[in-house]
Amino acid sequence: MINPSNGMISTSSAAANAQSPGLKTYFKTPEGRYKLHYEKTHPSGLLHYAHGKTVTQVTMANLKDKPAPSTPPAPPSSFSASSGVRSAAARLLGAGNGSRALGFVGGNGGSKSLSGSSRIGSLGASSSSSSMINTNFDGKGTYIIFNVGDAIFISDLNSQDKDPIKSIHFSNSNPVCHAFDQDAKDGHDLLIGLNSGDVYSVSLRQQLQDVGKKLIGAHHYNKDGSVNNGRCASIAWVPGGDGAFVVAHADGNLYVYEKSKDGAGDSSFPVIKDQTQFSVAHARYSKSNPIARWHICQGPINSIAFSTDGTHLATVGRDGYLRVFDYSKEQLICGGKSYYGALLCCAWSMDGKYILTGGEDDLVQVWSMEDRKVVAWGEGHNSWVSGVAFDSYWSSPNSDGTGETVMYRFGSVGQDTRLLLWDLEMDEIVVPLRRGPPGGSPTFSTGSQSAHWDNVPVGTLQPAPSMRDVPKLSPLVAHRIHTEPLSGVIFTQESVLTVCREGHIKIWMRPGFAESQSGNNSETLLSTSSKEKPLLSGKVGSSSYRQ
Amino acid sequence: MGAAGSKLEKALGDQFPEGERYFGLENFGNTCYCNSVLQALYFCVPFREQLLDYYANNKNIGDAEENLLTCLADLFTQISSQKKKTGVIAPKRFVQRLKKQNELFRSYMHQDAHEFLNFLLNELVDILEKEAQAAKSDPETSSPTEKTANGPKNGQLNGVRKEPLVTWVHKNFQGILTNETKCLRCETVTARDETFFDLSLDIEQNSSITSCLKNFSSTETLNAEDKFFCDKCCSLQEAQKRMKIKKPPHILVIHLKRFKYIEQLGRYKKLSYRVVFPLELKLSNTVEDADIEYSLFAVVVHVGSGPNHGHYVSLVKSHNHWLFFDDENVEMIDESAVQTFFGSAQEYSSNTDHGYILFYESLGASNKS
Repeated sequence: MINPSNGMISTSSAAANAQSPGLKTYFKTPEGRYKLHYEKTHPSGLLHYAHGKTVTQVTMANLKDKPAPSTPPAPPSSFSASSGVRSAAARLLGAGNGSRALGFVGGNGGSKSLSGSSRIGSLGASSSSSSMINTNFDGKGTYIIFNVGDAIFISDLNSQDKDPIKSIHFSNSNPVCHAFDQDAKDGHDLLIGLNSGDVYSVSLRQQLQDVGKKLIGAHHYNKDGSVNNGRCASIAWVPGGDGAFVVAHADGNLYVYEKSKDGAGDSSFPVIKDQTQFSVAHARYSKSNPIARWHICQGPINSIAFSTDGTHLATVGRDGYLRVFDYSKEQLICGGKSYYGALLCCAWSMDGKYILTGGEDDLVQVWSMEDRKVVAWGEGHNSWVSGVAFDSYWSSPNSDGTGETVMYRFGSVGQDTRLLLWDLEMDEIVVPLRRGPPGGSPTFSTGSQSAHWDNVPVGTLQPAPSMRDVPKLSPLVAHRIHTEPLSGVIFTQESVLTVCREGHIKIWMRPGFAESQSGNNSETLLSTSSKEKPLLSGKVGSSSYRQ
Repeated sequence: MGAAGSKLEKALGDQFPEGERYFGLENFGNTCYCNSVLQALYFCVPFREQLLDYYANNKNIGDAEENLLTCLADLFTQISSQKKKTGVIAPKRFVQRLKKQNELFRSYMHQDAHEFLNFLLNELVDILEKEAQAAKSDPETSSPTEKTANGPKNGQLNGVRKEPLVTWVHKNFQGILTNETKCLRCETVTARDETFFDLSLDIEQNSSITSCLKNFSSTETLNAEDKFFCDKCCSLQEAQKRMKIKKPPHILVIHLKRFKYIEQLGRYKKLSYRVVFPLELKLSNTVEDADIEYSLFAVVVHVGSGPNHGHYVSLVKSHNHWLFFDDENVEMIDESAVQTFFGSAQEYSSNTDHGYILFYESLGASNKS
């Protein structure tokens, strides 16, 4: 309303705050320097965190090329109604897309990762975006979706613009969590959960094509909190779930929805008999949406995460417990208590063997699915740990297939404004790893492996371990990278992305990528993309394909 | 009072036990430092119960000389015996007594809540010790009111008064720190124990209580001007020193050093740093890895940007619900509101409500008394 011309948000942004004399524009690691490449932020004048009380979360969305029929809400013909520049762009890019699409659909195989693989595609998108600002909704490229105050902002990951290309404002309540489905079958690929408990599903592409500041073409679920009026704490698509998604609320309940169903169907669930026990209730009518309610715990759920293959769902919450469920069986498999205090975040390793959690005991916890217990505590944060992630693109120097040890790289961010990187070498912390023949194709066989483990009965939660019983890890590096407490970290193939709770995002290029991308104009970008191809397949590519 | 009181009563509903009372305390001109600490102590249930027990067992206290202990017991009894669930009480006698007792608190100036808490607990211990001595000196009459001047002498006659008396105040609040100093020449470790009622922690921007406690117990090297006199080496030597908690208290009181003397300014400055405190805590800096879990039950909050002015309020957890006490006013708040009192991540922030004194109760083996 203040700024009727949509996306053209004033360039004087709040980013000025993000720069501070004490902060460097790079950080060093054993493998080289990570350089601050881009910063993303939102227009200033928004309410400060202390007033808004919503913490910024970031979702990465890669709009890769899709065959035209699979995207009904955004048919190419809809372009023509809008401005001439845009339709021209659409035609231009549309032609390009078609030829390129085949190229990388083949290369990707079953790409499990966020963004990543379509590097060439996203570079192409960035070149177009820099020339047309708000008109790069050609339906591809990698975007960052983040919430600040009452708005959702969308930025182009690969452009140097600090300001978002799109903002969506919510009048009823603040958006607090979101999720993007890489493999959505129809147009609705973006989920947004609100403080009021309301949930929307929309097509990201459609939002980018629209010039307004409102959500368009949305399905509305849990309207006005009719099913559950607790704050949405975390939201996720069920991997391979054919449009099913789950929403975790602040009151310890999680609901399963199907996007194909009408959100307004009658959904009443029986009263929860025992608040302290896990229970699942299914909707009585086939038309109902949500279709099921999982009562997980008393008190807020803070974060949820599906294993990459969708078999397991992990939740963490105010009660300090990590819980791991078999999603399709609707069963609690295992879990355990933090050292003390709430757990705030969780993340799976790509192979589904480990879960990271972070929380109010300042520890990064490594949970082994095979052992069904905590196998390491990472000590190094000076405040609560608010974001954790495995670096699935990182390959250990000795991972040539012969070594017995498996190395994992992961990162954590905290309210101490720092990013810590960790190496987890499974030999070091004496965990017996039962594995198939070396070099064999990795499978998500956690289920069959756990059958060997009979010390801990299925479905029991472990109490908090004693300090002296858990092996400790020390961080590889620790760097203060923001001035505000951090809220999240994401690894992409080229970079590490960090975000603070106030909505300032920093994108740190990995060593090797930073040099070749230093030039910011589109010409250089395009020309370097070809130069990087060998580098991709030689260095990073090897590991990502093998996984 | 009436309207506000009934509103709170509605909010309380039937989730709270019948016997619990939630009363605001009237402010007599800058006595919020006192009110905020009194509320925290009132909702420190073992302390309150023992104080009320003490009062009940010393009925003739009314005839006795008035002191801070009797005034506090009187006030707590007055609150707990109210017919209504909510309302406002004027802690008049207590505040008058406090001002009489200590000239520091006599003026209408802004006072430090931590200083007051410290003074109060030490005063209570003094009074209890004196009474115990008096009782011992005269075993026939168990009345603690008859005081004798020669208590210590009689105590020694009995031959059992070598150990300092452990009162119920000690049992609740007292912990033992051990100060270990290791001479870097002969490697002899000298340990010196000291008792504490609260831990005063240095704070850093964007840190946690866990981290502040770690720093409190971090190893410090004594060298150059600050060498250590080693008894074994009989000379000044370089040494390493660290503080550990030998006996964790039942009620752990943590004081954040938010008021810091800045030499360049020549005055005290308030540090508005964001220091997060978890609702549950374990101490890692203990001599034995005890893994005792503590639960937060009260926070005294300083409101304001400077050390010499401002306001104190308190957050209190009672029967799993959080309440906000601001002198006369009492409100129910959500647990998630506690995090708005952590402090400011940036100095220019408009948020000036900062957690100042934290009260944690041990969840382990309950207080043996």
